[in-house]
Amino acid sequence: MSLKDVIHDIEGYQDIASEIAVLKKYGFDYSAQRGQLESILDMLHPKKLRLRISEIIEETRSAKTLRLVPVQSYLPPFQAGQYISLVVEIGGVVTSRDYSMSSPPSQIGYYDVTVRRVGDGFVSEYLLDEAKPGDEFTSSSPAGNFYYNPLIHGRDLVFIAGGSGITPFMSMIREAAGRGLDRRIHLFYGSQSPDDIIFGQEIEDLSRRHSNFTWTSVISDPPQGYQGRAGFISAGLMEEVLGDLSDKMFFLCGPEAMYTFCRKELASLGVPGRRIRIEMYGPPKNITACQGWPESIDAGATVSVSMKGGKTITVRSTEPLMNSLERSGIVIPSLCRSGECSLCRTKLLKGKVFQPEGVKLRKSDRQFGYIHPCMAYPISDIEILLQ
Amino acid sequence: MPEYDAVVIGAGNGGLTGALTLARAGRKVLLLERHNVPGGCATSFVRGRFEFEVALHQLSGMGSAERPGPLRSVLNDLGVMDKLEFVEMENLYRVVWPDTFDITLRAERNAIVETLQERFPKEKDNIPRFFDLVYSFSMEMVQGLFFKDPNISKEKYPLFFKYALTPTQKVLDEYFSDPLLKAVLSIYWSYAGVPPKWFSFGDFAIMLFAYIEFKPYHLKGGSQALSNALLDEFINNGGEVRFNCGAKKITTKGGRVTGVTTEQGDTVQTRYVLSNTSMLQTYLDLMDPDQVPRETLDGFRSTSIGPSAFSIYMGFDCEPEELGIQETTNFITTTTDMDKAFARWKTMEQQGVALLTCYDVSDPDFSPPGTCQAAYVALQYGDPWYLVPPHQYYDAKYRYAQGMMELAEKVFPGIQGHIEEMEIATPMTHLRYLGHLGGAIYGHDQYTKDTQYFMANRSPVQGLYFAGAWASQGGFQPTLTSGRSSAKAILKSMAKK
Ligand SMILES: Cc1cc2nc3c(=O)[nH]c(=O)nc-3n(C[C@H](O)[C@H](O)[C@H](O)COP(=O)(O)OP(=O)(O)OC[C@H]3O[C@@H](n4cnc5c(N)ncnc54)[C@H](O)[C@@H]3O)c2cc1C
Ligand SMILES: Cc1cc2nc3c(=O)[nH]c(=O)nc-3n(C[C@H](O)[C@H](O)[C@H](O)COP(=O)(O)OP(=O)(O)OC[C@H]3O[C@@H](n4cnc5c(N)ncnc54)[C@H](O)[C@@H]3O)c2cc1C
Ligand code: FES
Repeated sequence: MSLKDVIHDIEGYQDIASEIAVLKKYGFDYSAQRGQLESILDMLHPKKLRLRISEIIEETRSAKTLRLVPVQSYLPPFQAGQYISLVVEIGGVVTSRDYSMSSPPSQIGYYDVTVRRVGDGFVSEYLLDEAKPGDEFTSSSPAGNFYYNPLIHGRDLVFIAGGSGITPFMSMIREAAGRGLDRRIHLFYGSQSPDDIIFGQEIEDLSRRHSNFTWTSVISDPPQGYQGRAGFISAGLMEEVLGDLSDKMFFLCGPEAMYTFCRKELASLGVPGRRIRIEMYGPPKNITACQGWPESIDAGATVSVSMKGGKTITVRSTEPLMNSLERSGIVIPSLCRSGECSLCRTKLLKGKVFQPEGVKLRKSDRQFGYIHPCMAYPISDIEILLQ
Repeated sequence: MPEYDAVVIGAGNGGLTGALTLARAGRKVLLLERHNVPGGCATSFVRGRFEFEVALHQLSGMGSAERPGPLRSVLNDLGVMDKLEFVEMENLYRVVWPDTFDITLRAERNAIVETLQERFPKEKDNIPRFFDLVYSFSMEMVQGLFFKDPNISKEKYPLFFKYALTPTQKVLDEYFSDPLLKAVLSIYWSYAGVPPKWFSFGDFAIMLFAYIEFKPYHLKGGSQALSNALLDEFINNGGEVRFNCGAKKITTKGGRVTGVTTEQGDTVQTRYVLSNTSMLQTYLDLMDPDQVPRETLDGFRSTSIGPSAFSIYMGFDCEPEELGIQETTNFITTTTDMDKAFARWKTMEQQGVALLTCYDVSDPDFSPPGTCQAAYVALQYGDPWYLVPPHQYYDAKYRYAQGMMELAEKVFPGIQGHIEEMEIATPMTHLRYLGHLGGAIYGHDQYTKDTQYFMANRSPVQGLYFAGAWASQGGFQPTLTSGRSSAKAILKSMAKK
């Protein structure tokens, strides 16, 4: 005998069984929900976007805005400050880079991304020199954690931007101005020369029209006879312009050097870590200068990377593993390319990699040998498991 | 075309223990997962200095090494215990009603009875009687049902036959008159996702019994450590896993599984599929309509999509004491009307019951020194979120979260001012990461009519099996266990061939 034979003896069994019988007849018919999940997902977080350049706007001598419209006629929402990861194919290499939207979230017809030349950049050069209206790209959905959270960030905000780091702030400022949000914003904006100030005119106009938005432009390489502020965004400058710093929330986005400098300045002013938010910036320019980099490995070193059950390639120790893989035609999933999002998570079976501080590995991922190849530098011959 | 003995779809708890069980039996197994990490709900994510635990608040059924509970035995069998370190919680929970009531129960029967008697002197005699019932009932359920007594009968197990399907509310009303006491005792209804009036006493009693007897647990590294350990052991046993690679189609021929096609378009041959995604999703989106009998789909008419959750993950720049947090598990309530509290799960109205868990109280290493974190959660259905237009989604999310924070502030004043990192997950977030309708975290609603006694979950397709919340019950212990049982059923069927 098993429960099945005596199940009717459980008190209430019959009533529930007849209730079920009725429901089976008149209850909701789920067969109508075929495909529904995908369409709900696509409203907020489609896996991929297809975008077309509708227009290219020359901002400065070194920066352009690409206006991207959806090929499928819908763009998911984002939070001002977020980015998309734009996939490009250049000379047979498929890779991606992140670009923060500079347009506000209220602009639902297009995303603007503003690209600045970085010197010897691979993708930025392509986007600035080769891309033209009508070109189509695949990108990720909007992502990233550099945005304003009304629950914890308060109403008094200080934005510190350097170079192309203005882009997420432009989105936030345009949103605040456009929606008349109850926030006070001061922008410190560092540029190399007056000719490099992206969105200068618009920022100036907005600051004239909105009493709760002010800004300070700082030029690091001022030309002869320059009248405005020159130098860096220092503690002294911040104190002078802002006065009382308590209750202010600081947001930083810009080049590595600016972070190193401004972080120290903010610390010297006694701003607690909780009141500072920093956007990630991709792999460091010079990994050998990073704290913890093994001295014995010089900039030219090469090692071999073998993929379990696949090929073996030779790579430079000073290049992120992900880039080396892409160069040899192996594309692994990526999003932030800064070690934060874990999308590229890969198992290291043998050998050693260097991962600079700031790579956000889960504790147990570390325990079980996972690495984030977008910010992992192979410093010995290694074997990895692509999953 | 590559061939596998079995393909497991989804690396949630059920998929992981299922895949591992098959691999340990020497089978060639392919595990497919849409997301880039194993675990499904059982996962974590990193923000700033914090690694946030997504799902696990209290692990049930563990027990100590000396007195192992059923889950410990499962994990032992799977060979992962030496990779994990478990943390026992001393207290069952605290229930606090701002400015009204506050009580903390230890995870120990006599202590609970004493604490309650002191606080509810009018119910002095009823309290021990109620616990006698919970315990005697549970013993009968374990003996008769779990150990599959071949001589099970109404005469031998009178309590089981009387109460298994009785609504919990009815039993509480039978024993007590104080609504506050009833609320305190039945607060785990908000874990189960079923209000006391629809929560079978069988499920409720065994849950309370198990949490008290085997104690609530957590583990170092959080639930992600468990998921990683299971996956690691799976790989060590020759298992193959593909992340960022969902299953797109299960192919069948003559009513029998023949293969699986992935999102990337690769097809593999197999005669067995263990699906960790919902049965509905599997039948509707992973199979051709003409391969699924109409009766099978009609079978779902008596069920409904269960609740999801609205969670706020918070990393603080100080220790728990500074925030006034003394307990790991804090249920915050503003009502004794559980029907009303439950009804709100289907709306955007402020919650009546929420849970704030601070892991660092039981495990001081959980967050970096000088900090702590909390997962603050309330169950909610996906439905009200379907109605939010996409471009108002973020505003709606912050508005709802602000309401929750106002409630938390009443218990832990000043808490909001110490938040360094915060992430908010809505039912839509769970829907995105789990791929389940409604963002459901416990599968179907688990009303009395949905309990195991009425389930006919044999699939009409030969070789197709299910594991996880949708196939059994939500929660860690049931889903981890279900994967192993379904894999055993597969092994049995394979052995017959
Ligand atoms: C979240 C986020 C948002 C961003 N938003 C914007 C934005 O709005 N606008 C914008 O212009 N940029 C933005 N960026 C930066 C952008 O993603 C790219 O990094 C930038 O365009 C440079 O890419 P690139 O391919 O041209 O340069 P890369 O070729 O990647 O080179 C970048 C720098 O690294 C150095 N480098 C190149 N190759 C190597 C190598 N092999 N080893 C070591 N160093 C090397 C180069 O000297 C160069 O200066 C953002 C980045 C992130 C992470
Ligand atoms: C906020 C929160 C709090 C919770 N608190 C607790 C608690 O304290 N105690 C407790 O016991 N339980 C708790 N739970 C519930 C528990 O976590 C879940 O019930 C349990 O983990 C579900 O496991 P599962 O096996 O059903 O798989 P799921 O976790 O549902 O995972 C299913 C997996 O399948 C994958 N998948 C789906 N479709 C496909 C496809 N087509 N191809 C490939 N892969 C696919 C998904 O990506 C996912 O990884 C909580 C859950 C949440 C979210
Ligand atoms: S792409 Fe985000 S961690 Fe590597």
